[in-house]
Amino acid sequence: MPVIHKSYHVTKNDFIHAGEASIHVKNLLKSLNYDSDLVRRVAICGYEAEMNLVMHGGDGELSVDVSQSKVVIEVTDKGPGIADVELAMQEGYSTAKDEYREMGFGAGMGLPNIKKNSDEMTISSEPGSGTHVTMVFFCKG
Amino acid sequence: MNEANGSPRHCFIHFEQSMCSGCGLCVKRCPTRAIRVRNGKATIKNSLCIGCGECIRICESGAITASTSELNSLNSDKITIALVSPVLYSQFPGVLPRDVLQGLKNMGFTHAVDMSYYFEMFQWATAEYISRNRKTGESPWPLISPVCPVVLRLIVCRFPSLLPHVHPIMRPVALMARDVMTQFKVHYGVDDQDIVLYYINPCPSKMGIPKKELETAGTSADLHSTGALGINDIYGELSRQIKHFEKNDKIPFAQAGFEFEQCTSGGGLLWSMTGGEAEATGLDKILAVAGLNETITYLEKIELGLFNDLEYIEFRTCREGCIGGALNAIDKYLAKSAALKMAKTLGVGTRLNRERVLRLYDNNWFFPKTTPQALKTMGIQKERTFSFDELRMIEKIVGIIDGKNCGACGSPDCRTFAEDLIREEAAPDDCVYLKIRGITMDDILMRVKPEQDKD
Ligand SMILES: Nc1ncnc2c1ncn2[C@@H]1O[C@H](COP(=O)(O)OP(=O)(O)OP(=O)(O)O)[C@@H](O)[C@H]1O
Ligand code: SF4
Ligand SMILES: [Mg+2]
Repeated sequence: MPVIHKSYHVTKNDFIHAGEASIHVKNLLKSLNYDSDLVRRVAICGYEAEMNLVMHGGDGELSVDVSQSKVVIEVTDKGPGIADVELAMQEGYSTAKDEYREMGFGAGMGLPNIKKNSDEMTISSEPGSGTHVTMVFFCKG
Repeated sequence: MNEANGSPRHCFIHFEQSMCSGCGLCVKRCPTRAIRVRNGKATIKNSLCIGCGECIRICESGAITASTSELNSLNSDKITIALVSPVLYSQFPGVLPRDVLQGLKNMGFTHAVDMSYYFEMFQWATAEYISRNRKTGESPWPLISPVCPVVLRLIVCRFPSLLPHVHPIMRPVALMARDVMTQFKVHYGVDDQDIVLYYINPCPSKMGIPKKELETAGTSADLHSTGALGINDIYGELSRQIKHFEKNDKIPFAQAGFEFEQCTSGGGLLWSMTGGEAEATGLDKILAVAGLNETITYLEKIELGLFNDLEYIEFRTCREGCIGGALNAIDKYLAKSAALKMAKTLGVGTRLNRERVLRLYDNNWFFPKTTPQALKTMGIQKERTFSFDELRMIEKIVGIIDGKNCGACGSPDCRTFAEDLIREEAAPDDCVYLKIRGITMDDILMRVKPEQDKD
């Protein structure tokens, strides 16, 4: 199955460029004329994962594999990791610092949003060794 | 070069080939990548032009102008009406708006109608729509202001998923064109054909308006004779008229026959600057964004799901708002200072009867008659999208070119050049990087054709 693969470097604490990787992915899908609902879901999830990396994780990468049947996004970082993944997945749970809350983040809705808007989601993390989030979106028809 | 996809459309921009140096500045600047240099001259794909005027601003040879209408029905037997954007007043520091309107009449317009009245109408209707939308949730937040047509075309062209965000109230100029047409027809007892509307404004993207606006408003009129004039088209003549009666000051002001003819308010002037529209709504969860790049960045982010805690965003693609429009005659900062002073002199405040506006609202007076889709496509055609295989080929071609986005090929960047190769609108020889290596289209196809895939 032919795929288009792209990856983007994402930098911790870089709020100026945060979101750019997701915008690239979104525009790639738009140029391929993917269904706008799919594009919207991918954009929202990519953005949440990218922001988590910037805020909580460490330097890392957002990559996308696009094929005619599905879109797969992987976001990997080498940050502090998550001690209790199940807890982190709950709505409203957040360890965001005050300064981030002032910027409008830290509602604890990012991971739940990814769960809701993707077709498949896996998150694996070990404290000290980073976090890896995979999201899959299936194309209709 | 031919149109990208068939049916030619009226273009907002005119390129004077003999003056074009082929430098390619406009190619790089165009936000929809509509311009190319081919055979040493700039050409534009009309169907992609959104009328932002960036190319006019950047061109050093003066080869690019807005395609405005011919002003040929003055002093004819037609009733010729100037629809005046308040930006016009800012071009004459210290001159009272009513004197500017009088100057237009001296130039030969039968009437000169100020737009502030319709801004107020629009404002009221907007506040009403927003408060109802809080309950109905009919449109997604944030609503996007429909006032700047470049923003609308940008959305159609690059952000179609945001179309549901576009505020569905008719634009002030549309409300004005329809109302003026109706009222003057009754007043003079004439037909549509006897009236000519000229919209005087600073914006290349409004050419074709009010014709288009009247159509979408559902007016059945034969609109052969409506047009738009850039402020810079009439500035010279209008200045002479204004100087003339400033000196003599003996021309009696004709009594304005209509409520809206004398309705210039300070609020109208504020509308011509960024933030003016947002301020006028009196709402809290509102934002004003100005500038082309800034607008694009925000639209990108709205597509990522951001800003849904805001109710309304005012967008203007020109810096400082319409006062920075490409067809103005004086510098935008001078204009801004003049407009602020005049707004103070005239005072702001509302003059409309709220009950009446609400009645009109409930009679659907503010909503376009044609389908929103017809309004929203605005004659824009997207370029054909590429197939999956074609896109993979394009990626690979970019790799083969291995260039520096220099633009010497006449396309804005290497990637677009690769797209142009696939569209058969460019040849490998146009690119220096391919040419010095003697790479032909056959070589390229050999290397990128999907059959050749081993993965
Ligand atoms: N890449 C990551 N590295 C380390 N910790 C993470 C990472 N992603 C998420 N977390 C942890 O999981 C918590 C929940 O994440 P989630 O995205 O749901 O909420 P949030 O980022 O805190 O707030 P919001 O996304 O609503 O702005 C975070 O507060 C953080 O403790
Ligand atoms: S900001 Fe105003 S002048 Fe500029 S393109 Fe938009 S409507 Fe026209
Ligand atoms: Mg988050």
